[in-house]
Amino acid sequence: MADIPMEWRLQMTQNILLLEDLPEIRAWMKALVTRVFPKCRIHEAALVQDALGLSASTKFDLALLDLGLPDGSGVEVVEALRDQQPEVQSVVVTIHDDDDHLFPALQAGAFGYLLKDQPRELIADQLRRMSAGEPPLSPSIARRVISHFAAQAVRKPSATGKAAPVVLTERETEVLVRVSKGYTLPEIGEQLHLSRHTIADYVKHIYRKLNVTSRAEAAVEAHRRGLVRN
Amino acid sequence: MRLLFKLLALWLLLATGAAQATTVSITSALSVDGGAGRFPAAGAVPQEVSLPDDWALTRPGHEGSVWYRVRFNAPSGAADNELLFVYIERACSNLEVRLNGRLIFSGGRMTEPMSNHCYRPMLIALPSALVSSQVNLLDIEVRGYALGHVASRARAGGLSALQIGPQSELMEAYARRNFWNIITVQVTGIGLLALGGFLLVLSWMNRKETFLLHFGLLIVGSALLSMRVWWSDPPLSGRNVEFATVMVWAVMVTLAVNFLLSHARTASKKVSGALLLQCAIVAASLLFTSPERLFMVAATWFAVMALEVSATVVWYLKKIHQARSEDFWPMALTFAGMGSLLLLELGLQSGYVAPLAIHPWSVFSPLLLLVIGSRLLLLFGRALQAAEINRAQLEARVAEASAEIERNFAQLSALRVEQSTDKERKRIAADLHDDLGAKLLTIVHTSDNERISTLAREALEEMRLSVRGLTGKPMQLADALADWRAEAVARLGQANIEADWKLPADDLVQTLSARAFVQTTRILRESLSNIIKHSGASQCKVRVTTGAEIFSLVVQDNGKGISLELGGKLDRGHGIASMKHRAKQLQGQCLIESAPGYGTVIRLTIPL
Repeated sequence: MADIPMEWRLQMTQNILLLEDLPEIRAWMKALVTRVFPKCRIHEAALVQDALGLSASTKFDLALLDLGLPDGSGVEVVEALRDQQPEVQSVVVTIHDDDDHLFPALQAGAFGYLLKDQPRELIADQLRRMSAGEPPLSPSIARRVISHFAAQAVRKPSATGKAAPVVLTERETEVLVRVSKGYTLPEIGEQLHLSRHTIADYVKHIYRKLNVTSRAEAAVEAHRRGLVRN
Repeated sequence: MRLLFKLLALWLLLATGAAQATTVSITSALSVDGGAGRFPAAGAVPQEVSLPDDWALTRPGHEGSVWYRVRFNAPSGAADNELLFVYIERACSNLEVRLNGRLIFSGGRMTEPMSNHCYRPMLIALPSALVSSQVNLLDIEVRGYALGHVASRARAGGLSALQIGPQSELMEAYARRNFWNIITVQVTGIGLLALGGFLLVLSWMNRKETFLLHFGLLIVGSALLSMRVWWSDPPLSGRNVEFATVMVWAVMVTLAVNFLLSHARTASKKVSGALLLQCAIVAASLLFTSPERLFMVAATWFAVMALEVSATVVWYLKKIHQARSEDFWPMALTFAGMGSLLLLELGLQSGYVAPLAIHPWSVFSPLLLLVIGSRLLLLFGRALQAAEINRAQLEARVAEASAEIERNFAQLSALRVEQSTDKERKRIAADLHDDLGAKLLTIVHTSDNERISTLAREALEEMRLSVRGLTGKPMQLADALADWRAEAVARLGQANIEADWKLPADDLVQTLSARAFVQTTRILRESLSNIIKHSGASQCKVRVTTGAEIFSLVVQDNGKGISLELGGKLDRGHGIASMKHRAKQLQGQCLIESAPGYGTVIRLTIPL
């Protein structure tokens, strides 16, 4: 999907899942999404259960998921989509801007996040970027990712077992460190003489590795607690 | 040392030389067996015997009286007014002395239970009135037992050589013999009784250490045995005294073996039982043997028991050599002394060794027992001290551990309070987001009025920052700067304003309180909003300087500046008052310099 130019993709018919419990916000989101992707088909859900039902029956290209819902967390849908439809881009749309909320969603496999209270234009712009394969990465998220992989390295032998350890490349680490210091992704592209697409790929790889190691870690943890028996 | 010996020998020579001057030594006497009350004049022929007269050699099997008659002239060299004495080294068991037919001394009961003076030297005064200047007759009636009737050769009948002379010349020999044979035995006996009693009390308090009990009883038994040396008038007949003596020995051997085994930690109930059985056999053998064979039976038992004890000693020394070698040498030396005493005693009893002036076994074996007892006491004291130290150390460790537990507990409860506070904060924050946040968000995105939607967005942002201040922990200044920069550059970039924000090169170690982070974020956002909305600037420069206690942000734009015409106040509509107010709340400062056409400079200084 990332190979397809953004202009084309915006014009393509897309199936989009929109999970949001507040009707006004949902309506507003729907309007916004329709403006960005004029030919899209939007499937609305107000509850986690509804979204899980939809994800089992419909093939999506993009999922916009609220985190705090009456019957659970959008993270559950992120996980379900990741397992059932690995190609879908799950984007968390939330009012919580702190990494305590965003990081678990990214660990679960979310591709990016949007802050609901940002001006419409900004959200639209970020949505376009994500759709074009450019996920966002804030300094605080970058710091969390760095410490996650540092802990992973310490725990590596027992945590990942026989599987090949997942580690960040030097470049990925460099990008992370620069983001954590407060440089924006376009700035880092300039500093490292890399295109914005390359930088975006690094970020995507980082997120994927974060997801893989988090899942391995979760499996080991579950095994340790006796939740999984074999 | 050698010089000292020479001097001593010289002194002895002089002393004996002086004694020879006036003292008469008598080495032969006329003797008659039997008779009572007086020297038999008729019916029996007196025989010339040499003194000392050992009945076991001269009249074996004889029991009862033997009369000795000695003739002597008063020593010529003695001063006229000086009392004469007869010194009898040994007369066993009892004696009566007559001078020229008059009884001048009686050692006590001459019939059973007979007084016993076998170990005691005698110095008997010869009354001047009875001493003739011519020839004097000294009759000595000795009553004693045949060797066969006693358990020890030391108590078999006999009379030593006599010396007659002034007290001044005889006293020394008498005192010396009395000191070694009687006083020493008495003193060590008292010492043994005291030590034995003490060890018994200790063993009562430490039931586990059975060797203390055994040794305590052993030395009490030894003290009892030594009594026969100085207790002249036991209420028992000679035969009963001998029986009791052998029985005490048998019990003491039992105790000694038990002591050695328990001290070497190899106590055995079988051995104890066998030894008790042996005591019973000893008693039976003594009861059923004929009186004449008592000595033989007793000597046999002594030899058997000596072998038993020796074997146990060897075993014991081997064991303690393996286990605690520091005990080995003192014990080995003591037992070597004990062994040589035992050999000497066996030699004396069997007659291979001539009787000595003092009875070595009676005198020295209690002393060696005292040595062992003192050593045990010393070891016990050391063990007690070690136990005390251990206990003190243990107490200290317990105190340490309980202090540690208390400390941990305090930490734990502090942590729990912190955790529950944190949890509560998070709950409040979540509630705020879910309720207030959702409503404000609805206003933001549904209001047609741009002003209201902007206000709602600002309220939402405020709320989020407040929640962050509520839940937040102190933040690294470097992280805060990173967050601010990323946001500023992104926002300015969106508005097509060139951002120029250089981050400090070196690593910062300062931290920022959650409150300071939140307030500074608000000030910075407000100033960026002003630049984006009102300044029309194409460039924005941000500079950060950090000190140990303060940091400052300078935000400069090249916009049109804030017109003073706007009511003469700098801040109308620009939130400048609130920026200053927030800075003041942090004990900081927010200065704004602006003139139309010259852009605006905001200088923010916040203490860390």
